[in-house]
Amino acid sequence: MTLTDRQQLSYIASQAADARLNVELETEGMTLNIGPQHPATHGTLRIICRLDGEQVVWAEPVAGYMHRGYEKLTEVRTFPQVTTLVNRIDWLGSFANEVPFILAAEKLMEIEAPPRAQVIRTILFELSRIANVSLFLGDLGVQMGAITPVFLAFRDREYILNLIEGATGGRFHPNFDRIGGLKDDLPKGWIEETRGAVKKLEQFCDTIDDLLFGNEIFQSRMRGIGIIPADIAKDYGLSGANARASGIDWDLRRDQDIPLSYDLADWKVWTHPDGDSWARCWIRLQETRESCKIVTQLLDQIPAGPVMTKVPRIIKVPEGEAWVSTENPLGEMGYYVVSKGGLGPFRVKIRSASFNNISIVPWALKGVYVPDVITILASLYFILGDIDR
Amino acid sequence: MAPLSDDTTTQDAPGADAPAALPGDGLREGIIDNLRSHIGDAIVDTKITPNDDLWIRVSTEAWLSTGQALKDAGFTYFCFLSGLDWMPSPYGTSEEDPDDEPKEPDTEIVQGYTGGETRFQVFARLADLDRHVGVTIKADVPDDRLVMESWSHLFAGANWHERECHEMYGIGFDNHPDLRNMYLPGDFEGYPLRKDFPLLARMVKPWPGIVDVEPMPAEDEAEAPVEEKGDES
Amino acid sequence: MGLVDKGRLPAPLTKLFNMSRSYSLWVYQWGLACCAIEMGAAFGSPRYDVMRLGVIPLPASPRQADFVCVSGTVTDKMAPAVKRLWEQMPEPKYAISMGSCANCGGPYWDSYSVTKGVDQIIPIDVYVPGCPPRPEALLEGIVLLQQRIKNEDMAAKWRGDEFTTLQRTRAMEAGEVDRDGELINEPTEPTPEMAQAADSVQPEPIVVGGGPIE
Repeated sequence: MTLTDRQQLSYIASQAADARLNVELETEGMTLNIGPQHPATHGTLRIICRLDGEQVVWAEPVAGYMHRGYEKLTEVRTFPQVTTLVNRIDWLGSFANEVPFILAAEKLMEIEAPPRAQVIRTILFELSRIANVSLFLGDLGVQMGAITPVFLAFRDREYILNLIEGATGGRFHPNFDRIGGLKDDLPKGWIEETRGAVKKLEQFCDTIDDLLFGNEIFQSRMRGIGIIPADIAKDYGLSGANARASGIDWDLRRDQDIPLSYDLADWKVWTHPDGDSWARCWIRLQETRESCKIVTQLLDQIPAGPVMTKVPRIIKVPEGEAWVSTENPLGEMGYYVVSKGGLGPFRVKIRSASFNNISIVPWALKGVYVPDVITILASLYFILGDIDR
Repeated sequence: MAPLSDDTTTQDAPGADAPAALPGDGLREGIIDNLRSHIGDAIVDTKITPNDDLWIRVSTEAWLSTGQALKDAGFTYFCFLSGLDWMPSPYGTSEEDPDDEPKEPDTEIVQGYTGGETRFQVFARLADLDRHVGVTIKADVPDDRLVMESWSHLFAGANWHERECHEMYGIGFDNHPDLRNMYLPGDFEGYPLRKDFPLLARMVKPWPGIVDVEPMPAEDEAEAPVEEKGDES
Repeated sequence: MGLVDKGRLPAPLTKLFNMSRSYSLWVYQWGLACCAIEMGAAFGSPRYDVMRLGVIPLPASPRQADFVCVSGTVTDKMAPAVKRLWEQMPEPKYAISMGSCANCGGPYWDSYSVTKGVDQIIPIDVYVPGCPPRPEALLEGIVLLQQRIKNEDMAAKWRGDEFTTLQRTRAMEAGEVDRDGELINEPTEPTPEMAQAADSVQPEPIVVGGGPIE
């Protein structure tokens, strides 16, 4: 991997910083504590940085301020109760959290949801991705002091939340997926409204593209910062847009065989060879546009039929273990469900994307200037519920 | 200095770069054979669910060498690492009605896929992003000494996962650079994900149990049970 | 304000001060989890604009805030930070607990690491239920807080009493209620005539915030 000027400079500077701290001349570094309550940390993440001047010599995230003990709680709940709980892990794109869990349970029961339910699941999945990433795009500006995009993001997100509420009853935390299908069918007029809302979201993407990504300040603060090469990304388990920004061509919607209807639509996977913060943000913008395309195409292809297969009233999932992971808005989210034939699971291991995404922070923040700390964290994009579960 | 790319980088449509065929069981068996050529009979058990997934259980001593062998074979993506406690919970799973007669608690330790001999197991998942296949590796943790070798020098991402596994189960990891609590405050006592760690709120107020299948309002008012408290009609 | 803490503020001035206080609140958003997003939608989105109620979000620091809106799950690891935040805020301060996690632990009531309700740490004035509560619900909670402030006896708040409504102060001055809120005169057993008289009277409407606002 060849190094850019900036990267070389920061490498030399970090070597010098280390050397300076070791020299006879006692200079004391400063310990900067970012968080746990900080507008830039998307929640309660605490980052302890040891600084030398303006440069970070050593950084460490301290997670756990939102640790709610999900894996223990799932052991004492039934499967539908776990579905309710699991909505709240990635709390911006909530429907996306339910899907891999339900798919794992369906895999153990060896049933498949009917085609109509699969298509509607995919549409809601993509809508929750759009809702999640549109807030990310708005928040990008706030990390740098540009406050207007977040108001635009909240306004345009309301359209998606209205849709999700119309179909499921909850703005977020829909709790709509059931083992065997969906809870209910779509209401009348929903499809037309979705078409209109998705057009508005496409306009929002264009606005953000113009406002933020075309902005000289944004570019100079994001390009060349926080470069993560592909092999390091795989070592740490970075997934989603973070991995694709480092050039790894891998998208779980395309590369695995799960009962969601991505093959009914024509869409592309975006990658970027650079691996810097700019690439991560840019890929998410393109992916939002791609999701809008997927939704528009799938809306025309919803088959008629039931939304729920025949399942017993009280569901006992047979013994076994299953792993299902999907391409969630934050990355690869997977559930390893161990069932012993009861009403609820025996053990659920929740593999959340942000946990791995943030484990790279100590590596990524070495030798970086303090303002760049914020932009690197912003571009890695995490949600605390996802890190801490 | 490598010039940074401009924005016009795109990727082709799914047909062009997608794998020619999704991995089949032949590929998975090839993975097992490849691993066997590296670590021999340290492979204790394997399980392939048809057209779906692959589990391999290895002996405790071969935990690190398995990781190394798989990484060399192309499994460079580290998905997760965690633990399993196979003892059934002595406090029940809140599925029973607390007013019923308490049943005999089930204390038999039965492991899942690919078996096992101990109460605790560690399991990890790695993926090969080029062949689009993943593998779940399990290993027993010896009952008398809950320590495994650490993968953190092999996969940098394993660092945090092993910290979490340590604080949740109490499984130690040799050669881990920094094994302290990930989530829990420093003065937390106990290992929460062990089955014998009680959830105190549930012991104080037990959950009413099996889902209450009340009739829908329009359905059967005639069959609605007589309520002792309140007499709404 | 020597008149305030001695309780000798004339009533119209109390009403004026209370009204202006309630319409110029600066809210500190202590957004922890999912409810923080709904709080952000209530405070930061053009649709559920909170500024029309006179409440401004985003103070520069907790020391400049009038009330705090705790939204989201409070874990045991985070609890000392919440306590420290509350201690940093200057009086008169209020707190709204938003969402069922902050009210009582919520869906994580049985977790080993969740504080079952932020009222175990700080005193709360208004509880807004929901998971998450809609932004309109949070706005209603803020309106209830404003009614409560309008109805407040500033001297009692200054002293740090538990009940600070004007009705309570008047009842204490009239000698009906003692300092702890206990009725001084035991109520007599209702006679049939009293019961009949009571039946014919219109029931008092329930007014949130402690009584008719005068």
